[in-house]
Amino acid sequence: MSHAAGIDVGSTQTKAVIVDIEGRIVSRTLIDTGANVRRAGQRALDVMMEEADVERSRIGFVVGTGYGRYKIEAGDTQVTEISCHARGAHTLFPGTRTVIDMGGQDTKAIKIGEDGDVIDFCMNDKCAAGTGRFLTGAAEVLGLTLDEIGPISLKGTKPVRLTSVCTVFVESDILSYLAQKRKIEDILCGVHQAIASRTISLVRRTGIEEEVTFTGGVARNTGMIHALEEKLGVTLNVSDDSQYTGALGAALYALDHVRAGQQKAAS
Amino acid sequence: MTIDEIVLHSRSLLDMKPSQVIKKTQETYPNVRGFAVFPVYAPHEIIHAAGLMPVGLYGAGDQLEITHADSRFQSFICSIAKSTLELFLADEMDGFVGIAFSSICDVARNLASVVSRNTEGIYVEYLHLPQNMASEQSQTYTRSEYERFRRKLAEHVGRPITDAAISESLKLYNEQRRLIRAIYAYRQDHPGSISAAELTCITKAGTRMMPGDYLTILKDVMEQLPQRPAHARDTVRVVVEGAFCEQPPIELIEAIEAAGCEIRDDDMMLGWRLFTGDVSEQGDPLTALANAYLNESVYCSTRHDYYHPRTEGLLARVRDSGAKAVLFTPAKFCEPALLDYVLFKRCLDDKGVPHLKLEFEEKMWTFEAPRTEVETFAESMLFD
Repeated sequence: MSHAAGIDVGSTQTKAVIVDIEGRIVSRTLIDTGANVRRAGQRALDVMMEEADVERSRIGFVVGTGYGRYKIEAGDTQVTEISCHARGAHTLFPGTRTVIDMGGQDTKAIKIGEDGDVIDFCMNDKCAAGTGRFLTGAAEVLGLTLDEIGPISLKGTKPVRLTSVCTVFVESDILSYLAQKRKIEDILCGVHQAIASRTISLVRRTGIEEEVTFTGGVARNTGMIHALEEKLGVTLNVSDDSQYTGALGAALYALDHVRAGQQKAAS
Repeated sequence: MTIDEIVLHSRSLLDMKPSQVIKKTQETYPNVRGFAVFPVYAPHEIIHAAGLMPVGLYGAGDQLEITHADSRFQSFICSIAKSTLELFLADEMDGFVGIAFSSICDVARNLASVVSRNTEGIYVEYLHLPQNMASEQSQTYTRSEYERFRRKLAEHVGRPITDAAISESLKLYNEQRRLIRAIYAYRQDHPGSISAAELTCITKAGTRMMPGDYLTILKDVMEQLPQRPAHARDTVRVVVEGAFCEQPPIELIEAIEAAGCEIRDDDMMLGWRLFTGDVSEQGDPLTALANAYLNESVYCSTRHDYYHPRTEGLLARVRDSGAKAVLFTPAKFCEPALLDYVLFKRCLDDKGVPHLKLEFEEKMWTFEAPRTEVETFAESMLFD
């Protein structure tokens, strides 16, 4: 029982992390969630164990998180993704006081204390504007991949203004600008700025305190990082493991249980 | 009936449209007709004394698709106003003599007029209840408003509504409110004996039954509670505040409880349990009702008392119930609740009471997002 695992079943992707008894990441994996949430959680754990060559018997505790956390059969308990992102972000960047987590279907602003505890948080409402889904919609209209749109947006010099930040109506806005022969980089720059504005409105509800750490799948998008930094006026902490922040936090909560079990056994 | 059977029966009543409630009641009381009471409060005693069944009208919940009301109201109007109008426009208020509205907000005020203009053959009453409790004239005024209501209602039912009949109803409703208070008190002392979702089903269903039958049910609940196994858990004790008018879906209350919160007290179904004690059964019943409204009502967004601010009432509710936090649950677009939130937030922050705002609307089908929010809130307290 020398390891612990966290599985983050998100709306679009499932992430999983295994940590050793020292809290070091020994393995991580990412798969598409698909329609079968239950299977996604188990599959992520299987893939990760195989890659790390860690047998199930060595994983002392598994914490499930994300919207599908209660569907993970391997999960010993569940912790919300907000608590997990706070814990993960604080571990990756101990100076973190504000976390912006931008995922496929929702965006969260989390205010955390010195010890990584959640002090306050705010989630977007039903509207998908300001989430990864908004970017997916924009990319689809332009015939680009999600990985392409960030770097292209950085080349924009005259960003367009969007009349709507509605995920549905943004498509007609983009088509309208395309008809006006506006450059794709300017359109994408405008799209990223619109999401950044929306996100900052959300973050202001909890308060913006440095250091600010950007997590979630959208944190891989360089255009989004740039737009947020420009609007916030601060440099964001962004880890290469940003997508795994929630799973890491879950694994660390699981590790607490493993350590507590070891202490109990020792006494 | 056992408590489980009562909860099931209550749920079945809540799934009915108002016209179906009357039809169902008429199986036992063939000649009974209903009188709808829009939140927050109307003197049920006067309605009952007129030989009518007072029925709480809390919109249509998830029982009716909005196909007419959207053409009368803007998109930023709360669900209860739209679905209440829809009930009238979709002919789902058969068996009702009338409906009483009272001063809650601009929307409710205009809803009364819109219903009145768009319906025929139904008596629409607007009770101008005082919002200022501190004025010396409030008592005289409130009584005169009740008297006006009695007179008009009597004209509509074609028979006088006597003091004696109101006094009899007053005793019935006193006993009803007394039992509800006792059940709330019991569950505070015995956490887990009955969930907030179950209790809300029962209190809400009580607005859809003849008061005499409801008394029997409340007595059954009270009698059986000590035999019911309590399921105490490691939870965060909370007060739910903000749902004094439109009621949250039962599934939202279940989600709050499943997420790790024990609801110690709340302001749901407020109009039907408005008074902190018994209304005086001595003397003129209308004066007694007016006095109770002015001097013995719980704190509420629709009442202003300069000497007893709302924040004071919320803090007292937290303290008296032994809660550690507040879940503020306003209906979407509920102006009175959201305006109060500004005061509550400042006050709770000053006192170091953790709080979370959770908006709801009638047609919520999934509760994952609110559950995640409440669960995180609970974790932030339990993980300390």
